[in-house]
Amino acid sequence: MIEASFMSYISLSILLFSIGIIGLISRKNIFIIYMSIELMLNAINLMLVTLSKYFSSMDGQIIAMMVMAIAASEAAVFLSLIVAMFRLKHSLNIDDYNALKQKGTL
Amino acid sequence: MGIGLLTLIIFLPLVVSFVLLILPVGMKVTRNVAFATTVVVFLLSLSIFFRFRLTDYMQFREFHPWITTYGIYYSLGVDGFSMIILMLITTLIPLGYLFLWKTKKAKGYWASMLLIQTGVTGALLSLDMILFYFFWESMLLPVFMIIGIYGTGNRIFSTLKITIYTIMGSLFMLVSILYLGVAFYNEFGVWSFQLSDLVQITTLTNLQRTLLFFGFMIAFAIKIPIFPFHTWLMQTYSNSPTGGVFILSSIMAKLGIYGIVRFVLPLFPHQYVEFAPYFVGLGVFGLLYFGIAALMQQNIKKMFAYSSASHLSFITAGIFSLNIYGMTGAAFLIVAHAMATGGLFLLNGTIEHDLGIRSISGLGGIAKKAPFLTLAFALMLLCIVGLPGTNGFVSELLIVFGLFQFNHYVGVISALTVLVAASFMFWLFQRAILVGTDNDVSKMKDLDIKEMVGIFSLAVVIFAMGIYPHWFLYKIEPTITHYLVDILKVGVGS
Amino acid sequence: MNSHFLAWIVLIPLISSLFLGLMHLYSIKIRKIPDFVFTTLALFAPMASFVLGVLFCIGLYEGASEYIYEPYTWLKVNGYIISMGFLGDRLSIFMTIFVTFIGSMIHIYASGYMKGDGGYGKFFSYFNLFMASMLLLVLANSPLIMFIGWEGVGLCSYLLISFYFTDPLNVVAGNKAFIVNRIGDFGFIIGLVTMFFYVGKLGFDYYALEEYVSLVPIPVLTFIGVALFVGAMGKSAQIPLYVWLPDAMAGPTPVSALIHAATMVTAGVYMVARFHFLYDLIPDVGVFIAYIGAFSALFAAIIAMRQTDIKKILAYSTISQLGYMFIAVGLGGYSTGLFHVFTHAFFKALLFMGAGAVIIALHHEQNIFKMGGLRKKIPLVYITMLTATLAISGIPPFSGFFSKDEILLKAYLHQEYLIYIIGLFTATLTAYYMFRLFFVTFEGKNYSDKKVGELSWSMKAPLVILAFGATFAGFVGLPEVFGAHNLIDSWLEAWSGPALHVEHVQEISLMLISVVAGLIGIGIAYVKFYKYDFSKEIKISGVVYNKFYIDEAYDYVFVKGLQKLSVFISVVVDDGIIDKIVMSISSGFINLGRRVGRMQSANTRAYAFFMLVGISSFSLYLILKLG
Repeated sequence: MIEASFMSYISLSILLFSIGIIGLISRKNIFIIYMSIELMLNAINLMLVTLSKYFSSMDGQIIAMMVMAIAASEAAVFLSLIVAMFRLKHSLNIDDYNALKQKGTL
Repeated sequence: MGIGLLTLIIFLPLVVSFVLLILPVGMKVTRNVAFATTVVVFLLSLSIFFRFRLTDYMQFREFHPWITTYGIYYSLGVDGFSMIILMLITTLIPLGYLFLWKTKKAKGYWASMLLIQTGVTGALLSLDMILFYFFWESMLLPVFMIIGIYGTGNRIFSTLKITIYTIMGSLFMLVSILYLGVAFYNEFGVWSFQLSDLVQITTLTNLQRTLLFFGFMIAFAIKIPIFPFHTWLMQTYSNSPTGGVFILSSIMAKLGIYGIVRFVLPLFPHQYVEFAPYFVGLGVFGLLYFGIAALMQQNIKKMFAYSSASHLSFITAGIFSLNIYGMTGAAFLIVAHAMATGGLFLLNGTIEHDLGIRSISGLGGIAKKAPFLTLAFALMLLCIVGLPGTNGFVSELLIVFGLFQFNHYVGVISALTVLVAASFMFWLFQRAILVGTDNDVSKMKDLDIKEMVGIFSLAVVIFAMGIYPHWFLYKIEPTITHYLVDILKVGVGS
Repeated sequence: MNSHFLAWIVLIPLISSLFLGLMHLYSIKIRKIPDFVFTTLALFAPMASFVLGVLFCIGLYEGASEYIYEPYTWLKVNGYIISMGFLGDRLSIFMTIFVTFIGSMIHIYASGYMKGDGGYGKFFSYFNLFMASMLLLVLANSPLIMFIGWEGVGLCSYLLISFYFTDPLNVVAGNKAFIVNRIGDFGFIIGLVTMFFYVGKLGFDYYALEEYVSLVPIPVLTFIGVALFVGAMGKSAQIPLYVWLPDAMAGPTPVSALIHAATMVTAGVYMVARFHFLYDLIPDVGVFIAYIGAFSALFAAIIAMRQTDIKKILAYSTISQLGYMFIAVGLGGYSTGLFHVFTHAFFKALLFMGAGAVIIALHHEQNIFKMGGLRKKIPLVYITMLTATLAISGIPPFSGFFSKDEILLKAYLHQEYLIYIIGLFTATLTAYYMFRLFFVTFEGKNYSDKKVGELSWSMKAPLVILAFGATFAGFVGLPEVFGAHNLIDSWLEAWSGPALHVEHVQEISLMLISVVAGLIGIGIAYVKFYKYDFSKEIKISGVVYNKFYIDEAYDYVFVKGLQKLSVFISVVVDDGIIDKIVMSISSGFINLGRRVGRMQSANTRAYAFFMLVGISSFSLYLILKLG
């Protein structure tokens, strides 16, 4: 069994976070964007737990627990919002939701 | 301890206004209660006038902590100069109400009028810079509503223009106030925005002081307005409802002048003296510039706007003349001009109310239909042109003399005011009031009894102040002597 | 005589005016008040003032040197004290008496002239206000108080010229009068302020000024003298500010008689006499004044020769006669000038009242060439007009002869021969144009068949009284060559200037010359106009008839110029430049906002990218900064 090093946890976390960001920026489907956001959250959680272990402090783990709890509740809101949005426009393409675009003159 | 007299004067209208807005009362009740409130305020300020002692100190002081962490106090007081303006405001507003009586506006109009009164008296009586700034900006809000909601023509544009323009100017002042506060903190280790404290700052360099001086002056110059910051005036005046333009012309513009004397003069005495020639020049230039521009205006309110600007420039020249004649004359002209121009705007309001015409060429033949209105119009006009016997003459004479002391040539040029004002005013009188037009003026009604009470009380004061000016002047003389001798250190003039 | 009553001389007409005004408003608004109420109140005021004036005159005669009454401090700033004060010395009481006397006569006359007019009460309210202002002007004890009256008479002049304000021409004439007078007032104020600046602290009443005016350096004094005289030019209608007076004839005829002939226009002369202590120190300015007067006299007389409107002719003759007065006061003969003021008031008021009677009789016809043959129809007017015309033409023993001759004598003795010749020539012209008016109006065939209206006694009586005045007023200033005592000179001793020695023979021969000059004028007028043929069409044109196009030139240069400047300022400078700059600042912000607003593309992924960039760069900054 290979002992996973501290740096590999960090690297994994950064990797996951980067994947999340790229997904957030490049994909158009709202679900995938949502999943990217969740991925980023979990990357941060991983980072927190790793650092917590590294510094021998429980703070990071506590925050990670809180993040998970919030993410769960946020997921409920987000999913219901997506359902509502889909009802409105019958589309999951993020580019169709552009009501705030500046049009014409001031 | 009870509530101080000045606090009562300031906040009574505010309280009444809120109560009226909350209670489900109609326009008529609102109007009547608002009028009663202004009368009460007038009586309160009358008691101040009679109890006023002939000194140069601040009297009726009130001092309460407000935001103590930063040394901001609720600090009020009145001296000779602000007393005369206080009397002016509290007298003019109820008289103006008598004229606005028949305006068919919602109750918000009357509530806003009360709010304006709180703003202007608050700004007038504050001795703490932050408190002053607070009132200074807050008086803009009801004006914004009055013009924006109850105005005519391109009212939204006008109201945005005046608001943004004056706020922009005020921001320069706010920065200057904060800078002064910080400078005070750095020097003395405590926070304070009291005017009496801020004048003690010694650490500022000359350049800093000059910049701060102009920071203040921009705010006041826009409000007055001094050339070239005047363009908002014409559009705003022509689109305001009568009440708004009445307040703007006869009260708010004067507060700009007041601000210069109250704050700029003691805070930056050196700069005040140094730049006085430029402002005198600007004032005399504005006097002629606006006066000539007034000649050919087509819109009657616009013409009054230019005429006001002309006189306000003259007043500005007076307060920068650095001698007692110019400054007392300016204080006197503030009163005279506020009454006369306010009266003219009110009378014009009745004409507009009855006929709905605002172009000079469209008016005419009113004299035959409405002799009382014509008489009142003529009396106000005589005050504007500075006819002896009115207070306009006394003030113009003093200012011309003050400017003559300042510089002989400037004095001679400024005397042209007698000519310029007479030209545009009499020509207006001829075209708009006396001579007939093809338009139908049969809808024109003469003044009713309330309006007559309002306007002829003004006329009586105008003539009383012109026939016996000494009785009004001696109250402000100590204050102005104090400014000149103790603060500016230039002496009262030979 | 208690000096308090000085104030009452002014206050009685003022109070009367206020009451009349209120009653008029009551009358037109609520219930009609009969005319006789107005008449009583209106006539009472000038007569009461006249009586008071006479009482003061007696007091002075009995030895009082002067009366001073200062009820209160008008203005007091930093040691400069100006009292509301009245001064009754020989000069001011002299003026008071003749102003109130002529005023009373014209009040009576006006009560007939204005009968049945809708603005009867208003007219007398203005009239009494004028009396009050004029008396304040005369009785003031300091120049500033005088200025109050000075402006007051100007205002009343405006109000009365534009009395029938529904006709634009009247109001335009009123405006012109007021604004041209304001040009003069501008000079007056500057003069006052300059004087105030130099000696004001030592007191500003006439006595203090007289005492300290010599402290002022002479160049400044010259400036003050000229500036004050600009005021007199305006008020007394001298070149170049005379243009308002002919137009002022738009007012009702009693107004022309009282204000624009007898009293107000002589205020300038009075003012110069009042400041004699000042003008004595600057004789050069005095000569300048005399020349202005001489040229005004000549110029106005030339224009008057070709006018057709009866009142305009009289207006130009007023300018011309005022010029004579300025010749006298300019040369230091203040009492001589005031003597002419005095006699002129009688015959010119009479001429105007006669003209008014003619105009009324002919139902508001003012063109003299449409009159003619009135001698038989209104004989009383004919006789009184003849008296006045002889008086103005300088024919002895009528009053104008003595005063005019004394002025010419003064000019001659001061060796200002040019002025003397101008004066003499103007006398010929005066006789010519006055008798032209007279012959065309009263002799010849009646041009119109209009029925001549009846004149009321209230119009006739003052004519007769003033005709006596016009005949005999000259005797108060009878020259000593006739073995008489010149009452005017001795009453106004302080104002009579240095006595100039003159041989009796010389004086008599100069008198004869001026009489001949007058007779020549009359003769030419007789030849040309006594049997004037009205049948042929009259067409008068030419430069003189058009008053040398001075009005047009002024209009073009000043009025049109200012109007163009006004439009230029408000349209080009204000809207085009200043407001553009202000608005371009705000539109600059708007454009900036619009540009930045493009970032709000509604592309969620782009937002996310911006956020990423923002957070990353901020984190990078923090890492680099905090290490």
